[in-house]
Amino acid sequence: MPPDATGAGKGAFDVVLIGGGHNGLAAAITLARKGRSVCVLERADRPGGMARSSEPAAGAHVPEIAHLLYNLDARVARELGLGLLLKSPPIPAVSLAPDGRHVVIAGDAARFADGTPHPDAPAFGELNARLRRFAGLLGRLSLKSPPRFDGGLASLATMGEMAALARLGLDLKRLGKHEMREFLRILLGNAHDLVLDEMADGPLAGAICADAVRGNHVGPRSPGTVFNLMYRLGSGGAVRLPEGGMGAVCGAFEQAARAAGAEIRTGCDVVRILVENDAAKGVALRDGTTIRAGAVLSSAGPLQTMTLAGIGHFDVEAVRRARNLRCKGTVAKLNLVLGAAPEITGLRGDLAAGRLLVAPSAVAVERAFNPVKYGELPAEPVIEAVIPTLTEPSLATNGRHILSANVQHIAHTPRGGWGDAARNRITATVLSQLERHMPGLKGLVEAAELLTPADIEARFGAPGGHWHHAEMGIDQILTLRPANGLAHYRLAVHGLYLCGASAHPGGDVTGLPGRNSARQLLKDRIL
Amino acid sequence: MPQATRKSHVPVGAIPTPLHARLEALSTARRWTNWAGFVSPLVLDTAEFEYFAIRNQSTLFDISPMHKYRITGPDALAVVNRLVTRDAGRMRDGRVGYALWCDEEGMVIDDGTLFRFSDTDFRLCCQEPMLGWLQETAWGFDADIRDESHEIAGLALQGPTSYSLLSDAGLAAAAALGPFDMAEIEPGLVISRTGFTGDLGYELWTAWDSVADLWDRLWAAGAHCGLRAIGSQALDICRIEAGFIAAGVDFQPAHAAVRLHRGRSPIELGFEKLVDFGKGHFNGRRALLPQRGTGGRHHLARIDIAGFKPAGGALIYHRKKKEVGHVTSGVWSPTTKRNIALAEFRAPYGRTVTDNLWVEIYVNQEGQWDRRIVPLTVVSEPFFRNARSRATPPGPF
Repeated sequence: MPPDATGAGKGAFDVVLIGGGHNGLAAAITLARKGRSVCVLERADRPGGMARSSEPAAGAHVPEIAHLLYNLDARVARELGLGLLLKSPPIPAVSLAPDGRHVVIAGDAARFADGTPHPDAPAFGELNARLRRFAGLLGRLSLKSPPRFDGGLASLATMGEMAALARLGLDLKRLGKHEMREFLRILLGNAHDLVLDEMADGPLAGAICADAVRGNHVGPRSPGTVFNLMYRLGSGGAVRLPEGGMGAVCGAFEQAARAAGAEIRTGCDVVRILVENDAAKGVALRDGTTIRAGAVLSSAGPLQTMTLAGIGHFDVEAVRRARNLRCKGTVAKLNLVLGAAPEITGLRGDLAAGRLLVAPSAVAVERAFNPVKYGELPAEPVIEAVIPTLTEPSLATNGRHILSANVQHIAHTPRGGWGDAARNRITATVLSQLERHMPGLKGLVEAAELLTPADIEARFGAPGGHWHHAEMGIDQILTLRPANGLAHYRLAVHGLYLCGASAHPGGDVTGLPGRNSARQLLKDRIL
Repeated sequence: MPQATRKSHVPVGAIPTPLHARLEALSTARRWTNWAGFVSPLVLDTAEFEYFAIRNQSTLFDISPMHKYRITGPDALAVVNRLVTRDAGRMRDGRVGYALWCDEEGMVIDDGTLFRFSDTDFRLCCQEPMLGWLQETAWGFDADIRDESHEIAGLALQGPTSYSLLSDAGLAAAAALGPFDMAEIEPGLVISRTGFTGDLGYELWTAWDSVADLWDRLWAAGAHCGLRAIGSQALDICRIEAGFIAAGVDFQPAHAAVRLHRGRSPIELGFEKLVDFGKGHFNGRRALLPQRGTGGRHHLARIDIAGFKPAGGALIYHRKKKEVGHVTSGVWSPTTKRNIALAEFRAPYGRTVTDNLWVEIYVNQEGQWDRRIVPLTVVSEPFFRNARSRATPPGPF
């Protein structure tokens, strides 16, 4: 379709997308492939959002925020032309133990790093397989707009969505009485109890609990953490370090978008969404230019998007829900450039390239959640670290290495604010935590870059600095994501859609919210 | 009142208004009710005397318990227009307008009177507590919401001789006020030509602690105008005669209703003229659009019922068989000598289907129940309307 096919005028696009993160790009790919003229507007100087890489020291490329690929659905990857990303083999997780008896987790198998069997391996295998089976059922709901119940059975769209729900019900029945009861028993429960029902507390239980809370403002004892665990397993649970690093992931999204015919403009700060006669008609940029379009998709959070369009265009209740969205970012990112590869006590070289977890026990993970509740800085945070240069040496020149660490449970803004003292304290705490397992690490650090949740919010526009733009919780998923009445990607203004992580199905580098939003837009026949 | 003598750190029980001592001295009926937390008279003497005083003389009713909010600031007009369904931008300064406001589903949260001092200064008077809702509505706008409920007291002076009384009390400047006009007649005293009776009348707004003096001043001037203090029961007959709806009676305020589908839209209540779809977005606009011009699921109408038995709560049937609605407020109108009511119909009854409608009235005659099925007529005009209520300047009746 030519650019002004919708009658939006010369130089106008069918769709303008706010934000060139992977979700904005996924939406652009979907729309461009359907022949729509698409323009992606990115505020930064390059697209990719939280999936892009940065260069804190010359020649060293670190994944700025997201450092691993979880949850990229194979069907969606194929659909978007990103199948290559799934070619690299899944990497194991290594839960570092204070006594050096590290636990290696690969798929449903768990063993000690020295090769000896782990006593809880059978229990873990059974639990993980079961969670994965349950997650697979729920995962299917993530490929479509969430079901809605207000359309009535006369509506064809509602029928289709209800059918998906009915299929889920049927599949649950097919699990058999025992498994279905088990599903319903644990679905809303907490990870701590689930895990400790099956095994003794220790690095294995700690690792599962760390995965259950990652990215969210919860501890393993918080209700809903079993659901979070299942969400992680939604596409099988494989964790990948794609060839070329995470930079290659957003590069692939960007390339696919350009190949599909989407235009990507960087350095474009959208300051206003143009609304005429209750319909979104384009955007205005900070430099004063306007870009007209038949529809606007926004990767920003709901409240940020409403503010861009003007709060007055939205009902008081909708604004209230958007304001009250739970989105307390709790993960800080520490990127280190190292002079050489660190030695990890008790770990063979190839395992060092895995996903390294500092989560010595379920109780330790819960304790690590306590300080953030009171705006304090943790002394022993849960850490997920990777050294991507062990797999991909080309990411850093001169034999240097990079270490990327997600530091869980760091307040968006701690009491007293983010002064240099607080920032240095976090860096020092994380280094000391890692140093226990990597003697001499501190001496290897050539450059360190800390991104607090406040930094993440400022740099990427993520509400609250939250990875997922809105906490993944039972009250903020499916028909309630991001909030009641805002599911289905549509905001009240005609032709205005959410396509970011705050929308269904939620966070992680999945591309699903963007792709689903684009499909909803096409289904709504707005263009 | 035993509560008043008990020592307590917080007020316990219904709160006396600044006029309570005066009302108590006048009350022979001693029938009080709780209005928004305040002690308010249902009847002071007898409802009949009070009703005829409203229609023939002058009456004073203490409306201090009314909730009053001030909306000020550069975005005050935008906030008001975001709130109410009518266009406050088309009201002139110094005007009062009846307004309704809705939730996101287009269901009426409450109705009230909107005072426009300027486009940066409004007052909203209503029945339901509304501070939280107003603050939510104003979020993101440069406007300030102030709860004036306990700062501003009000007196409703209603009746054909009310203007004469005002001028005898030294407030003749009120002559210039047309219906729904308002002005600060004296420093600290705003008079609006508004009321709940459908007749000539005024509402006087002043500071909480000066309302007693105002009462005394009117009372002193009122002897030859037949001034009486009244309770809400007599007023209720007058408001039905005037065709005014009451929150919680003729519609259920959306925020107070617990059950599904108990809310009603302004269009269902008969106020489509007060819904301005062209002014830009207001709360509930998108939900109301499908009702535009076609009506909603329900229809509130004024009806004239055969016979003389008040029909409050009665069910309404089509062809005496199919239940199609019920009476929300019914009363025998002493002035028009008609058996009148407001009734809610299920669409299309009462709106396009207006014939062959029947009211089923149960009458208890000293312990013996009797059922009467009587015909009704849907009426488009208010039951009570007279020229004096609109004459400006008002005549000296």
